[in-house]
Amino acid sequence: MSTFRQAAATADVAWRSRAADQVLDSRRRRRYRVSTFVMVLVVLVVWSVQVTIIDDTDWERMGSLQSVLAAAGEFLAVDWALFPSLAGPAVETLMIACLGTLLGVVICVPAAWFGALNITPYKPVTYPLARLMMTLSRSIHEIVWALFFVAVVGLGPLAGIFAIAVRSVGFIAKMSAEAIEDIDHGPVEAIRAVGGNGFQVMLYAILPQVLPQVLGVIIFEWEINIRRSAILGLVGAGGLGLVFFRQLNTFNFAGVTAVIIAILALILLGEVLSYFARKAVI
Amino acid sequence: MAGSAGRATALQWRRFRFPQSLIGHGAWIAVLAFLAFSVDHLEIPLERIPDMLGRMWQVLASRYYPPDLAYILDRDYLDYVVETIQMAYLGALFGLLLSVLLGWFGSFNMTPSRRFVYPVARLFTMGFRAVHEMIWAILFVSILGFGMLPGVLALTFFCAGFAGKLFAEEIEAIDMGPVEAMRAAGANLFQTVVFGVFPQVRVAFTGISIYTWDVAFRAATVVGFVGAGGMGWYLKRAVLQIETERVAAIILSIVALVIVSEIVSAYARDRVMRMK
Amino acid sequence: MPILEVRELRARYTSSGPEILKGVSFEVEADDFFAIIGPSGAGKSTLIRCINRLVEPTAGSIHFYGTDVTTLPGRQLRILRRDIGMIFQEFNLINRMSVMDNVLSGRLGYTGNVRTLFRAFPRADIERALELLQRVGLQDHVDKRADELSGGQRQRVGIARALMQGPRLMLLDEPTSALDPKISREVMGLIKTMAEEFGVPCLCNIHDVRLAMEFCNKIIGLQDGVKMFDGPTGEMDQAKLDQIYAMEVL
Repeated sequence: MSTFRQAAATADVAWRSRAADQVLDSRRRRRYRVSTFVMVLVVLVVWSVQVTIIDDTDWERMGSLQSVLAAAGEFLAVDWALFPSLAGPAVETLMIACLGTLLGVVICVPAAWFGALNITPYKPVTYPLARLMMTLSRSIHEIVWALFFVAVVGLGPLAGIFAIAVRSVGFIAKMSAEAIEDIDHGPVEAIRAVGGNGFQVMLYAILPQVLPQVLGVIIFEWEINIRRSAILGLVGAGGLGLVFFRQLNTFNFAGVTAVIIAILALILLGEVLSYFARKAVI
Repeated sequence: MAGSAGRATALQWRRFRFPQSLIGHGAWIAVLAFLAFSVDHLEIPLERIPDMLGRMWQVLASRYYPPDLAYILDRDYLDYVVETIQMAYLGALFGLLLSVLLGWFGSFNMTPSRRFVYPVARLFTMGFRAVHEMIWAILFVSILGFGMLPGVLALTFFCAGFAGKLFAEEIEAIDMGPVEAMRAAGANLFQTVVFGVFPQVRVAFTGISIYTWDVAFRAATVVGFVGAGGMGWYLKRAVLQIETERVAAIILSIVALVIVSEIVSAYARDRVMRMK
Repeated sequence: MPILEVRELRARYTSSGPEILKGVSFEVEADDFFAIIGPSGAGKSTLIRCINRLVEPTAGSIHFYGTDVTTLPGRQLRILRRDIGMIFQEFNLINRMSVMDNVLSGRLGYTGNVRTLFRAFPRADIERALELLQRVGLQDHVDKRADELSGGQRQRVGIARALMQGPRLMLLDEPTSALDPKISREVMGLIKTMAEEFGVPCLCNIHDVRLAMEFCNKIIGLQDGVKMFDGPTGEMDQAKLDQIYAMEVL
């Protein structure tokens, strides 16, 4: 065994020991970092629990666990007799969701066009404008939108349709804009090369590429919109929500459960339909 | 001969072939008919809509402008904002903790038992998800009374369903190679999840968690409508009293908070992307 | 005495599906570097995965150092698996983790749940991982993420991970078919050297017959779930190969 090989072996051992120290050290630091993070989370939880739950709850009025369970138990009964009268409102809810989604898609066209960096007509103005539209649409809850539209167009389904449309714009437009930004540029050049104008480029080069993805997003949003339209009755937009609140205000808890079951059935129907629609699209 | 056969097919070219064209056109016609019927059934005054859009602009300009900024800078209101954030935080956090389990148990490839745990987890996820957050809030308010506790619970249920489904989908989409490798090395189910699954879904989970937080915050701003705490109550009062300039201010404050939370989320997502 | 005895092994994925293995038997000795060759779809991967029961065999027996693998319950199965290292075709590394963590994951069978959660492996494991990384020539990449490495480097991490288990048998599932020919030969050479040095017998699934002839001392030829050839590499010739790969020509 040469001295050189021995020296190399010793160097290896020394390197290993040093490297192991480093590895262990970085792991320790990582653990400290993670535990600090977790501690912050926990402190925030404790503080929030203190403020929102312990201080704010009127424990005496709520009563014992038994009375709470008894209150919850009232929802376990189902008022089956209510179901025949739910068909009409259920159809209305579905219609509001469909029309709302459709209108939302119409509003989305300019929003997605302006909001995609690669095709936005005038970047300094149209792009921020589209982004603002998307953020506004997404950051305001459908209930608030519905209230606004009730104030403008009065009670009724139209306010619900507007609310759903405006609320849908953010998500559909954002996803569509992202899809447009990700397109393959080849077809765009090809259409330009045969002398196509901007509109033709959009129709023949961009739309076919993003269509399946965008339709998928629209179907997804439509499914959510059924859920949304079911509660817009709260602010007077008709449909199942209205029946729901009527039952609640008359303390007919079995009826409330019946309406919830009807909503679930409607959503299930929506999921089945969207499954087939998605298959047809892709 | 081959050439003429080719021309014959070329001449017969149609955009759609017979069965597909029937189904395709049929579906479109059915959808359009349904939409037309809806417009009729809901008695939507189509001719008045352009007029309404004009009025909408007028209403916005005259009644919602200028927003009453002093109102949202008031100490009481800011307290409510903080409470809303806390409610959203707790709801999102508890919901996410629950949804990690739901996602794991409800993913077909990693569930501990396909026969029992999987369908149960799926059912719970679907149930939590299908019911709108406002309905959860109403239910909890009528069981527990007014306050933030029902709000937090409503958000928890809603977030658990919302994130649970997305988590399960992420887990089902992972590459099973590392999972197989961990199994081959003698790791148990928990270890396989920690080493084989978690690193693959970490970025997606962070994204989904942030998204869930966004959604929870938006929901938290309105559960107060039905008495479940937070700034929703303020909003409802302002709306009912037709204090439109205050409504505008409150909506502005919500948008500002959402924008701030989006900036923070983008930063967090970037950090997680680069983690080892 | 053979360390691994496979008798009349049968396997199918679904009860109604086709039988992938139709009664395969063979034995691996303590100093073997054993190749399984055959056309794609012959059941090579299934055969190798039956041995550590990543795929459940439907009939037959597998004896590993005298224990019957096919009947082991959960916990014992995991103890068995940590004695068997495995190297995969697609490397199966955890892409978002560092090279170090990937190698350490070979020790999971010896590590508790809490340590796993905090990735708190003992110092001895870390030093061993460093030694192995040095041996496979990755000492400068310890802190990199696995997805920053090239294919050959990734498979070296895979080798280190398998050896980290301190295995008594190594299963190699097409270890080189995701690599280019030059790197393939290097990686096979490395596996062979390491296996000899650590005294681990290997059972290697391999598509490339030339690599099999060059590195392995025994060969099994598999065709459509049936063993067509079993013997020392020297006895393999072109006629037998043609027979084994006859199906693939069609």
